[in-house]
Amino acid sequence: MDASIKKIIARYPDEKSAIMPVMQHLQRENKNFLNEDAMEEAARVIGCSKSKVYGVATYYTMFNTQPVGKFHLQVDTCVPGFLHGADAIVAHLEKKLGIKSGETTKDGMFTLNRVQDLGSCATGPVIQVNDRYFENMTIAKTDALIEALKSGKEPENDPSMTVISKCGILLNDRTQKDCRTIAFYKKNGGYQSLKKALTMKPADIIEEVKEAGVRGRGGAGFPAGMKWSFLPKNDSRPVYLICNADEGEPGTFKDRQIMEFNPHLVIEGIAISAYAINSKKAFIYIRGEFNWIADILDAAIEEAKKDGQLANVDIVVHRGGGSYVCGDETAQIESLEGKRGNPRVKPPFPANSGLYGCPTVVNNVETLSSIPFIIQNGAAGYKKFGNTNNFGPKIFGVSGHVNKPGIFEYPMGTPLKEILEASGGVKGKLKGVIVGGLSVAILTAQEAENLILDFDSCVKAGTALGSGGIMVVNDTVSIPELALRTIEFYHHESCGQCVPCREGSLVIEHKLHDLVHGKGKMEDIDLILHLTANIKGLTLCPTGEAFAVPIQAMVSKFRPEFEALVKR
Amino acid sequence: MSKTIVINGKECAFDGNKTVLQIARDNGFYIPSLCYHPKLGPASKCRVCVVEVDGIRNLQTSCSLTATDGMIITTDSPRVLDAQRMVVNLLLANGNHNCMICERNGDCELQEAAYHLGIELPAFIVEEREDKDESGAFIVRDVNKCIQCGRCIEACNRLVVNEVLDFGFRGGHTQVVCDGNKPMGESTCVQCGECVQVCPVGALIEKKAIGKARSWEITKIRTTCPYCGVGCQQELHLKGDQIVRVKGVEGAKPNDGHLCVKGRYGYDFIYSKERLTTPLIKKNGKFEEATWDEALDLVADKFKQIIKESGPDAIACVSCARSTNEDSFYMQKLFRAAIGTNNIDHCART
Repeated sequence: MDASIKKIIARYPDEKSAIMPVMQHLQRENKNFLNEDAMEEAARVIGCSKSKVYGVATYYTMFNTQPVGKFHLQVDTCVPGFLHGADAIVAHLEKKLGIKSGETTKDGMFTLNRVQDLGSCATGPVIQVNDRYFENMTIAKTDALIEALKSGKEPENDPSMTVISKCGILLNDRTQKDCRTIAFYKKNGGYQSLKKALTMKPADIIEEVKEAGVRGRGGAGFPAGMKWSFLPKNDSRPVYLICNADEGEPGTFKDRQIMEFNPHLVIEGIAISAYAINSKKAFIYIRGEFNWIADILDAAIEEAKKDGQLANVDIVVHRGGGSYVCGDETAQIESLEGKRGNPRVKPPFPANSGLYGCPTVVNNVETLSSIPFIIQNGAAGYKKFGNTNNFGPKIFGVSGHVNKPGIFEYPMGTPLKEILEASGGVKGKLKGVIVGGLSVAILTAQEAENLILDFDSCVKAGTALGSGGIMVVNDTVSIPELALRTIEFYHHESCGQCVPCREGSLVIEHKLHDLVHGKGKMEDIDLILHLTANIKGLTLCPTGEAFAVPIQAMVSKFRPEFEALVKR
Repeated sequence: MSKTIVINGKECAFDGNKTVLQIARDNGFYIPSLCYHPKLGPASKCRVCVVEVDGIRNLQTSCSLTATDGMIITTDSPRVLDAQRMVVNLLLANGNHNCMICERNGDCELQEAAYHLGIELPAFIVEEREDKDESGAFIVRDVNKCIQCGRCIEACNRLVVNEVLDFGFRGGHTQVVCDGNKPMGESTCVQCGECVQVCPVGALIEKKAIGKARSWEITKIRTTCPYCGVGCQQELHLKGDQIVRVKGVEGAKPNDGHLCVKGRYGYDFIYSKERLTTPLIKKNGKFEEATWDEALDLVADKFKQIIKESGPDAIACVSCARSTNEDSFYMQKLFRAAIGTNNIDHCART
């Protein structure tokens, strides 16, 4: 067996977990193409059936089971990309390269594809070229990019956007060249919390986190300390900690800000949390598209190891393969076990039976990154930010129709108005705002007027804070078109396991497509509402709700726009 | 101690660990279910077996819901039926469920669910068609009828452990694939047919049964497979006196529905014109029909003659692998006690 494959397999307690990394390795070695031989090789080295490997390879979008060009251009046309004008980039590329989306140029240089959400919402339009991102694209920049690629030059990326940190806890000063290094981190007090935590009793750390009332920043808002306390006591099985870095909810690009520029913060958070829950092995499950950020994390872990910070825990960075559903904790566990990312039926819950059937905690990057601050400043220090039951700093991402899209670390409970002002104000006339990533109900301009951004206030306002990914929509946007983009995303991402999600999203997509293209009927609108009402709460995992809620809100709040599309 | 749950107002007693679906079935309540199979356990994927549970906000899949004492269940409320109707409608919408000419007409779990829920025609249609896979020797796969319940995959991987079938692709494109998306006939599938046995719809059907009989013309006869000594229980599906298909008997020992390729599909020989129907005795270099008495007398005489001339150890017996344990026992008894030799063997010994 190839030494590099052996090394990959050795990182995991169970070799099956290495299926995806092994296939990623084989694909890279074979011109970005995972052919039948490579899949057979993967099945052989892992010791599983060919069907199993094929099932995994075709589940995740990043495995190319068909050959692709030397440069695989993928334009994010999901909602934030759409709001930032990604369609014009696709149209331009199609014209320029003389191919349609999904095709490869005759010379084998370029393959063009539309993709669903690359997590670069404020810096859209974004084009992913093989495993690199090119952000803030314009037609002129696209031309320059293609020319550079053709002539074999290394093109430059421009990831600029607004970055404001009012709390100064999660985001660091990224303008400093050495901001990622352990030296920079330690100079600013880094790893002091870990040092302090290791003098504390694990139970006391859990109590402190409970007392701080940290609510999960992945979107669900479940209290992190409570999640930890569900772990069984006096259990002989190993405990696993998974840092959920699979941020894929359209509109969300917050975790990458921590991981890319302040990687030691999340590593310190993991080290403290792992100590608190007695976990000796932790994983960072990062979405595969963020490959360069995964490399940054790998390098930072090496630095931290050398510095003696990780004596108590081994951290493995695991790259996903392109699947939104893997952001769900049980799907993520399945994926980490080397399977298709199908969510599990609960119970059992991960705290009792998670990774490899062992007690497991899955926490979001932002959640874990707040742990060092809590240890250093106590629950009281953390509670200085935010409102009752909604404490701490929160990273908001603003994309869409604002003048200065970007990332904002503000206290929980900040009014939406303040965040919109910080992002340069709305471009044009505000029509609606989606405040918690694409899976929450859109608010009309009027509903959003006095919105307070915390979990409870958002629920009261009929939406959810979710991941804090704010998408601003002005009056140039057709809501039926927005709804179609929304359902396209969820239909594309549905794992396909349960019927209401798999088939429901398909039928809704068809009906919305018909409506947007002037072929719809009045009863289609009612059918969509009937489906969304029944799908809510009926699916195996929250994905059904994730599209039923926003579609229902768009259709019911902007119904006249849908009706106007029906030819009488 | 016996526990009780209430289903639609009726008290239903049960013992041990049981799901709500099992108790409902034990008590004569019909709850449509498509992905659950008793042999494979709950999957919670089709979401059609949902019920209302007092005190729980969302509808619950009864196949995976463990009953607890005092639980109050409703299976027929408008909310439950609405959800069930939507799920079945969605499945009918995106598939070629043309019952009229389907082999499973009258014996299809999706059709049964649609019937009970009062769905005459799907409320919405999405047309997408793919060719059938007819490459397998005995099995035809029709992906247009597949509802992705996953029973066949579980059966292939967990029961038979042949590991040929698995899900490929994702979301609406999810499909059951053989060995990395090969036609079944080119894959490592051995055509045991366990997947056909558990398929709830007409997505996997017996090739040889196509066009032979409607489900209501079938007489079912239980028998023991004649191929080997395991004694698998079979259910022959007959139209008139002709076998149309063979199924394994679910819940019966030793095979619990499972059969091998021979037991399930190798039944044509019984209609062969070349089949021996009477004993034949070779006279003057040619076989001639004889009676059993003539044949057995001849064999007995020859044995006696050999024993007389060369002793009993000049005779040996080889028992056939198709014999049952009981037959093989009598065989050795005959040779040891009556003939007097220990020269006994069995063709499946090595």
